[in-house]
Amino acid sequence: MKTSRLTTWLSSYSTILILSVPLLILAALTNLLADYLLLRIVTALFVSLIVVLGMQVFMGNSGILAWAHVGFMGIGAYISAVCSMTPAMKKIAIPQVYPFLMQLHLPFWAAVLVGAAVAAVIAAFVTYPLMRLSDAAGAISSFALLIIINSVLVHWDRVTNGPRTLFGIDELTNIWIAVGCAILVLILAYLFKESSLGLRLRASRADYYAASAVGINITLVRYYSFIISAAIAGFGGGLYAHYITSFTPNAFYLTETFNVLAMLVVGGTLGISGAVVGSLAVTIAREGMRAIENNINLYHLLPFDVIGLTEVFLATVLIISLIWKPEGIMGGREFRWRPKAGPQEANLKSADLAKRE
Amino acid sequence: MFTFEFLVTAISSGSLYALLALGLVIIYGILKMVNFAYGELIMFGGYVLYLVGTYTRLPWLVVALAAVLGAMIISYLTELVAFRRVRAKSLTALLITSFAVSTLLQNAALLIISPRAKAVILPPVFSTSVTLFGATIAMRNILTITISIAMLVGLTLLFRYTILGIALRAAADNFRMTRMLGVPADLVISSAFVLSGLIAGVCSLFWIGRTASVTPTIGLGPLIIAFIATVIGGMNSLVGAAVGGFAYGLIFSFIGVLLPQVLLDYREAFMFLIVLLILLFRPEGLVRSKHAEERIG
Amino acid sequence: MLRVDNLQVHYGAIAALRGVSLHVEKGELVALIGVNGAGKTTTLSAIAGTVKALGGSIVFQGQSLIGKSPEAVLRLGIAVVPEGRDIFPSLTVEENLRLGAFSRHDRSEYRNDLKETFELFPILQERFHQLGGTLSGGEQQQLAIARSLMAHPTLLMLDEPSLGLAPTLVSQIFGLIVTLRSRGATILLVEQNVQRTLEIADRVYLLNTGQIELQGTPAQLKAEGSIKDVYLGKAK
Repeated sequence: MKTSRLTTWLSSYSTILILSVPLLILAALTNLLADYLLLRIVTALFVSLIVVLGMQVFMGNSGILAWAHVGFMGIGAYISAVCSMTPAMKKIAIPQVYPFLMQLHLPFWAAVLVGAAVAAVIAAFVTYPLMRLSDAAGAISSFALLIIINSVLVHWDRVTNGPRTLFGIDELTNIWIAVGCAILVLILAYLFKESSLGLRLRASRADYYAASAVGINITLVRYYSFIISAAIAGFGGGLYAHYITSFTPNAFYLTETFNVLAMLVVGGTLGISGAVVGSLAVTIAREGMRAIENNINLYHLLPFDVIGLTEVFLATVLIISLIWKPEGIMGGREFRWRPKAGPQEANLKSADLAKRE
Repeated sequence: MFTFEFLVTAISSGSLYALLALGLVIIYGILKMVNFAYGELIMFGGYVLYLVGTYTRLPWLVVALAAVLGAMIISYLTELVAFRRVRAKSLTALLITSFAVSTLLQNAALLIISPRAKAVILPPVFSTSVTLFGATIAMRNILTITISIAMLVGLTLLFRYTILGIALRAAADNFRMTRMLGVPADLVISSAFVLSGLIAGVCSLFWIGRTASVTPTIGLGPLIIAFIATVIGGMNSLVGAAVGGFAYGLIFSFIGVLLPQVLLDYREAFMFLIVLLILLFRPEGLVRSKHAEERIG
Repeated sequence: MLRVDNLQVHYGAIAALRGVSLHVEKGELVALIGVNGAGKTTTLSAIAGTVKALGGSIVFQGQSLIGKSPEAVLRLGIAVVPEGRDIFPSLTVEENLRLGAFSRHDRSEYRNDLKETFELFPILQERFHQLGGTLSGGEQQQLAIARSLMAHPTLLMLDEPSLGLAPTLVSQIFGLIVTLRSRGATILLVEQNVQRTLEIADRVYLLNTGQIELQGTPAQLKAEGSIKDVYLGKAK
């Protein structure tokens, strides 16, 4: 029995549907319940998902740890904030702000996109040499990049207000914008994975020398992929800034790196389903633990305050996950609707690539 | 500007950083793993100093010994509990594990002790100074130099003349072959971690000696320095690490004097930039070793 | 002394060894020959413990070697000189040898062992304090063998010791193997150099695509005549 073209097409992109629909339902339910705290958590979940997907785009397909990823999220956050804040607000929040920056006042979407663009441009300028480095040197360099970005954010107070809190950003990221953008990025990440660039990147991960031998310019492929992932991180950062409305450079440093890594690794680095599952799992775990932590402190259930319990728990979970199931919950597979096998099945170019990895 | 005092300070930093770098490279050489939890070993040493120093009346030397022992033990435990089981998997998994261990230890300190800085009692000798060649030199610096150099010499002797040292160097060359000669893999790796802890413990004494306080995040500074130093000097040799540490100390001191005031805050970022540049043109680091790290592309 | 039965080893989905059986008795010089990729190194690795066996048995002096770590296998008395020598380039000759003696508990033995080593390998005495990485290929091969001998193994396994060496050095190495044998050593030799191997071995196994195709004394194999076919790919 011949499977129709529609069925074929649906199967290929079923992953996106299977992932998007629950997210939309979640957004709708949360909106319905109208519980403020839940609304905040779920919106944050969607924004985190965007950043995690950005990391998946590079790390999942190349096998290289991008320690600086969250730094680009920070760049996007700060740039978009500076663009979208009113001049009056900037005068108060960033006392020493550059005059031309103060005058700048862009609408929400423009600001966020500018943030993403700046992140991408900086990535373009800075990361090419890093793409050629081997494991240890690469790990240290990308970590170094994270430190440098943080250092600049902390010290360039005419733009960022330094280590002090930057406040006064309008809360423009609501739950629908967050989930909508998350789904958009989902589609983008999926398309990337199946695109020619994504395929070449994945080839380099599977077998470096074979890929080179086939003529793939691995350094260039990694470079382009990293720029894309940095842009996504910047985009996520911009949305984050307009959700949380005030932050310090520390929000885009080691703690956030840990969060993003945990989400990606626990879920599974090799596919977008892993990013979604991991973000959900870690968010649930974290908020659950945080609730416990807060209640212990609030009601003095213990003779001392517990701070950091959540992080200790999450770190333990991550370590156990790495020991038992380093490939993550999804193990590199994607959610997919597979229609009954027919002769057309063999033509599906993307059908089982996810599984074969 | 470049007084004798400045020189002593620079050498003091340099020797401490050389030691720091060595502690990192010992593990890297064998496991090819960058231990992100290395800074937390220093943090742990600091907290032992705080707890034992504050809650007992033991003489400082004993407290210091406890700190060093503590760092050695926690280092051994991280290997036993976490790294040993991830070793067989990918290097990436090992890296992430070390990052997770680092986060865990930091937050454990936060949880068990306090997020606030804790004052550490230092021996009175740390605040005295001597006059040498007409300049006032802090006793702390002299102690740092002597102990660091003593440690470096001691470790060199260990690596060169003891069977354990030879086994460690062999393992860094070819781990599999070392096992095939009957050297137990676990022994080698545990020893490396214990040694790394020993170094971290000693370094913590002098690092904390600068500020007389300890916080959960105190490990990040030394970690970054160790990173930079090993990259500058070369990750594949012990000598390289030491050279890198000294180089870092000297460059850092000189940059501090030469940079215009405006850019001084970015000193650390500058150091990292230098790292990136060195990696661009000389990925193996300054000290040539027999087998340079494979550079891709 | 060593009995391998129906050994199976898989690398992922690929079956490298599909049921290899061989045995080595005390004092014998047994050779394992075959083309590249036949599975010779895999066989040695499985015995040595660096590669996991999927099935079959390996029994050495009554003890099963399956699942044992390389360190444990050495302690039971089997030493391997791997393909490519694998000497430690940043250690001196002396340190390489000292490490070879790691498993020996008797310190005084070390001096006697060194004396014997210098008798067999005079060049190593010359180069005693030189770094292993500065030695020539032939010297490194000698160092690798000497190093393994320091452990006083009951069974010595050599993986392609003549690989990459000039003809005169090849003769030297083969001469060395004969000398060791005459001193009572038990040797399992993996080689690609069929001619020289047939000259010195007591018994030979011919390995092809993971299975033993022929076995017997060199005379028997020469009479059989099909070795050439196997090597030139004419056989199945």
